[in-house]
Amino acid sequence: MRQVALVGAGVTKFGVRKASYRDLIWEAGKACFDSIPALRPKDLEGLVVGTVMPERTAFQSHISSMAAEALGIRPSALSARTEHMCASGTVGIRYAYAFIAAGLCDLVMVLGVEKLNQPVSDEAILNMGTGVDREWEACHGLTAPPCFALAAQQHMARYGTTEEQLARVGVKNHTHASRNPNAHFQKGATLEQVLCSRMIASPLRLFMCSPITDGAAAVILASEERARDLTDRPVWIRGTGQALDGFTLSSLPEDYSRWPAMERAAQAAYRMAGVGPRDVDLAEVHDCFAIAEVIAYEELGFCEKGDGGRFVEKGRADYGGDVVVNPRGGLMGCGHPLGATGVAQAAEVFAQLRGEAGLRQVPDAAIGLAHNNSGMGEHVVVVYGRDQA
Amino acid sequence: MSYFRATDPLPLQSPEQNKLHEFYERLGQGRLVTTSCARCRRTAWPPRGFCGECASDEFTWVDLPCEGTIHAFTIQETGVPAPYESPRVFAIVNVGEARIFAPIVGRAATAVSVGSRVRLSPLHVAADAKGNPRYLIAFEAIEVEA
Repeated sequence: MRQVALVGAGVTKFGVRKASYRDLIWEAGKACFDSIPALRPKDLEGLVVGTVMPERTAFQSHISSMAAEALGIRPSALSARTEHMCASGTVGIRYAYAFIAAGLCDLVMVLGVEKLNQPVSDEAILNMGTGVDREWEACHGLTAPPCFALAAQQHMARYGTTEEQLARVGVKNHTHASRNPNAHFQKGATLEQVLCSRMIASPLRLFMCSPITDGAAAVILASEERARDLTDRPVWIRGTGQALDGFTLSSLPEDYSRWPAMERAAQAAYRMAGVGPRDVDLAEVHDCFAIAEVIAYEELGFCEKGDGGRFVEKGRADYGGDVVVNPRGGLMGCGHPLGATGVAQAAEVFAQLRGEAGLRQVPDAAIGLAHNNSGMGEHVVVVYGRDQA
Repeated sequence: MSYFRATDPLPLQSPEQNKLHEFYERLGQGRLVTTSCARCRRTAWPPRGFCGECASDEFTWVDLPCEGTIHAFTIQETGVPAPYESPRVFAIVNVGEARIFAPIVGRAATAVSVGSRVRLSPLHVAADAKGNPRYLIAFEAIEVEA
């Protein structure tokens, strides 16, 4: 299998945007092509688009073709849309990676895009219910916050994790986002603000949750040979893994504080990359809710099972600690435009491993990790390296 | 043209629209049932028309108890989609061998705890576009006499 690298990346401003679905595609394309002037749209052989619910919010399907035309890309090898709820963007990256690694083509853009605040913002929450089982869960009004609230309840009961420890994830990620001009939130948050924010689903409060956000991001993947021609600092895809345990809450193991599928996905990625948790300098993990990041520290192997609350409380998930988690601000700080998130995470890792992350730079970053969940039992991980295997 | 968006968030339950329609007919009668694979005899929750273990698509219906205990729950105050009411209590309920996701309804809903006993209390909800009646699972707290 050939090696594959990221050679370009761009991210739009995330937020409640005065921009259409197609406007966001243009913005992401521009930002990405600006990062690698040696490539123009006509040079690309493939396009993969990660996007979740444009049928509802933009009344549009057939997305890869729509985006290809919008960006002037005429795929000669690969055109696809990937939908895996919150992990759609990363699933798209894996798809493009495999095509290039297998030798089917050399240059593919992976675009992630989501316009959630449309046609009226109030519908966005109802639309989010499409991510859980219609017949057994969504029909009751279930959306993501109560699902992860159950995990938080059990983690607190089993391991003594506190509200304050959950709040510290929010403080850290909002602080990181304040150094990210593309983030949805720019103002930072104090511990008191997080702990006093309104209750969403017990025990998760507003500032422990990611918001409803519009945005897009794009990266370009290249085969080893093309990557070396195009840039002197390619960022290599070193390993990846994915695992699913189930979809409905009933299908998951009864202990919602443990996510074995994340551990399996991470182990597969680490094994393929030839690294371990201690080698990871920065990790963009899926903090849809603060508890998701706490459990991620454990399942990714940064700390022991049950110690996630203490890990963040002691500053070990921040600059100067063991690993910088969510340097760009995470989902909580940047927002979560579903299909765009995984691609935006990759763009952050790209900047960090090239030493181009400015105020957010993790010193001497050599190994970066990106993780998404689409639900508590569904996880995908990619490990990137500044240096080749 | 005026803006028009129609959304039906409830499952289709009639015989023409759902292989598992008998589940809903029994639910309307106040009974809770689930499927048992005709070949390997495994029971499942939620009910299913295809057995993921042995790949059979034949099943029978078996009764579940009408009472259970709360395994986990949360009270959602903000962000419940229209037209559902807030606050809303969502729970995982152990009912026999099944672990069932359902709302907790009724007067004492927000006072439940882990381990609380609950009983089946089906909701008669909006009919589908063809006028077929529909039901949803819900549980209510079994209140302890003071």
